[in-house]
Amino acid sequence: MLAKTKSYALNGVEGYEVAIEVDLNAGLPAYDTVGLADTAIKESKERVRSAIKNSLLTYPIRKITINLAPADTKKEGSHFDLAIALGILIANEEIESNTYKDYIILGELSLDGSINSIRGVLPLIISAIQNGHKKFILPAKNAKEASYISGIEVYAFDKLAEVVDFLTGKSEGKPLETSEFVAISKANKYNVDFSEVKGQLVAKRALEIAVAGGHNVLMIGPPGAGKTMMAKCVPTIMPDMTFEEAIEVTKIHSVAGILDNSVGIVVSRPFRTPHHTATVPALMGGGTNARPGEISLAHNGVLFLDEMPEYQRRTLETLRQPLEDGVAVVSRSKRTLEYPARFMLVASMNPCPCGNLGSKTQECKCTPSEIHRYISKLSGPLLDRIDLQIEVDGITYEDFRSSVPNESSATVKERVEKARTIQRARYAGTKTKTNDEMTNAQVKKYCALDNVGEALLKNAFTKLNMTARASTRVLKVARTIADLDGSIDVLSKHVAEAIQYRSLDRKYWD
Amino acid sequence: MTYTDDQKALIMLSTVEWYSVRKKRFESVDKPSELYNDYTVADNMIAKMEKAGIKVITIVDEDYPNSLKEIFDPPYTLYYQGDKNLLYSKDLLAIVGSRRVSTYGRNVMQNFAPEFVKAGLKIISGLARGVDSIGHRISLENNSPTVAVVANGLDICYPSENSDMQMQIAKTGLVVSEYPMGSKPLQYHFPERNRIISALSQAVFIPEAGEKSGSLITADYAIEQGKELFVVPGNIFSPMSAGCNKKIKELQAVITLSPDDVISALGKTSKKCVKEVVQLDFTAQAIVDLLKDEALHFDEILQKSELGVGELSSVLSQLEILGIIRKMQGNYFEIIPQL
Repeated sequence: MLAKTKSYALNGVEGYEVAIEVDLNAGLPAYDTVGLADTAIKESKERVRSAIKNSLLTYPIRKITINLAPADTKKEGSHFDLAIALGILIANEEIESNTYKDYIILGELSLDGSINSIRGVLPLIISAIQNGHKKFILPAKNAKEASYISGIEVYAFDKLAEVVDFLTGKSEGKPLETSEFVAISKANKYNVDFSEVKGQLVAKRALEIAVAGGHNVLMIGPPGAGKTMMAKCVPTIMPDMTFEEAIEVTKIHSVAGILDNSVGIVVSRPFRTPHHTATVPALMGGGTNARPGEISLAHNGVLFLDEMPEYQRRTLETLRQPLEDGVAVVSRSKRTLEYPARFMLVASMNPCPCGNLGSKTQECKCTPSEIHRYISKLSGPLLDRIDLQIEVDGITYEDFRSSVPNESSATVKERVEKARTIQRARYAGTKTKTNDEMTNAQVKKYCALDNVGEALLKNAFTKLNMTARASTRVLKVARTIADLDGSIDVLSKHVAEAIQYRSLDRKYWD
Repeated sequence: MTYTDDQKALIMLSTVEWYSVRKKRFESVDKPSELYNDYTVADNMIAKMEKAGIKVITIVDEDYPNSLKEIFDPPYTLYYQGDKNLLYSKDLLAIVGSRRVSTYGRNVMQNFAPEFVKAGLKIISGLARGVDSIGHRISLENNSPTVAVVANGLDICYPSENSDMQMQIAKTGLVVSEYPMGSKPLQYHFPERNRIISALSQAVFIPEAGEKSGSLITADYAIEQGKELFVVPGNIFSPMSAGCNKKIKELQAVITLSPDDVISALGKTSKKCVKEVVQLDFTAQAIVDLLKDEALHFDEILQKSELGVGELSSVLSQLEILGIIRKMQGNYFEIIPQL
């Protein structure tokens, strides 16, 4: 007899329906899977058989053929196990009702008949909803993740036998209750706070501006200056994630299999720190079993590149396109995947290879050409995407540290949110969301300077040896400073401050 | 342009590496053309030079500068790009000094060089890092033609970060080299090149030089060639000024305390640039007062000034743009000393 169950498969962070057809034939006992299944699916043979037997159900001693339709698309993952097992049971007339036809079935089986968690539940469900599906059977371990979607009926189970009982009507299933997002997002806690960063007032101010305007930041300073610490604090001053943003992030994390199943949704902004030995696929995503890369995992959050010049040049260059478009495109010969990747880039570097250039306490032993080579590892086009370049220094100010009150992340966040509100109002109806994304036309329109400001900017270029392409960057940052200030116009003092944050444009390295 | 056999022979001679060898060969014959029978090498070189816009003056030419003829070991060839009239200029002042220039040296350069240029002196130097680059840059900024004597073929740029500057000088000034195209900047080229710098100049000015520096070689050439040597005294504890101080102690150099000392000695009158009197507002003046005694870190200024971070950043930028203070590496700020 033939049975047909429905499941879903992933392509990037989007899902598509897969029909699982099971046919039982007369003949020598066999088990064949067709439909471009990967090894994990082919191995389901053993899991399915043991799970059925250990659930005290009957495994048919016949020739079993399983087809995964559409048959010409490569499929991967172990989440078809449950749908296959149910298909066999239905074909074997172990389950006789027809209720199963309404459900999208997802889940991996364990040999003892229990159902294991799978990755990508959220994106799979969201795609299924878009295709008109409303009822789901899922592993109980993934229930949290699914519970944030309202308007659907989700049944979560721990054991294969429970699913069978539910489908045959022996037991009444209870649909999952929807979880409240607001409550959980309020409870979110980062384990760092801005008030823990002592001193470093310029750097903190620069980070506040960066977050307020969505700008990317590069911190330049000797080892031990607290660059990493400050970078970790960046998510704490970013505005709270909206539900839509949280879902976007959760989808990606779910596909990558790094979602915390006890919470089921990502509520705090991601902070990713790929090591400098990271390869291009590790950053961009891809690989044989396609997974999102670090830049996608940092979506809606922070990507921190510590010791930026230590990364391979090729790796860094691949960041250019995602920084521009907010999408990581992974092209393979057979298919092209797209992962969202709109992140704030926070990078750090030493001022020179030994790290002591400009230090008052330690002598720098690097030759000018070494320093030149070190700095030139960052290409112009990449630096062009980094609006703020600030110097952070490692000198201790024991004497007056205590007297400088340190603001908490919450205080800074309030100001940031105010500035963001102004920006949202200004760019309403355009593609631009933050000052960083301003087009040239918008820069002209919204960053118009008065005569004083214009003169100041012009002088800055001649007197401080700034490069010409820095001008738009300075204006964008000045716009953000004005927004933080609550000023409608960009005044000369805003431009003057913005100039302070363009360290690499000053050619002190000659 | 056509070249005589003598000129071609000298071009070929310039590809011989050591000056002493070149000199021996040059003096072994009456006319350079007797040195070679086949001029293919020279013809190839000339073709390459024409493509790159490089010209040459040889020692047998009429327009070979007298100032070079007078020295003990004149270069046989002068490859150049730019305005060759600068070779005969009587206003050339050589400025040489350390490649790793200290803040003191920088301050001296920023106070002296613009004055020199405005008084009508033209700066000749070696396009090296540090003092040389600053001298050339100040000339370019003030639209004054400047001469760079390099220690390699003109198709090469050393140090590479100065390639833009070299091109600009070739356009508005003059780049000269004794070495043919393709010559690398070998170590022994540098002292050889220094004799040309001092020979072409009226006087040599050293703002800062260490004890074992190439600048002192130029200084010695200057003394040997009878040129005036001006040095700026430095801190006696500073190794960066040890060379300058040594020359002063040995009574070989004129102690220079102001740009005027050089300008008037060379028969020019300094055009005192009218310094704009900038009226600073209250906050800006307060910060200038804070920095009067020593360079301070941003955080220190912040604490003493009681301004907000943004406000202070803004004031500091404005003072920087006015040229009153300067930002140093590591977020330190200091007043730029003015004479």
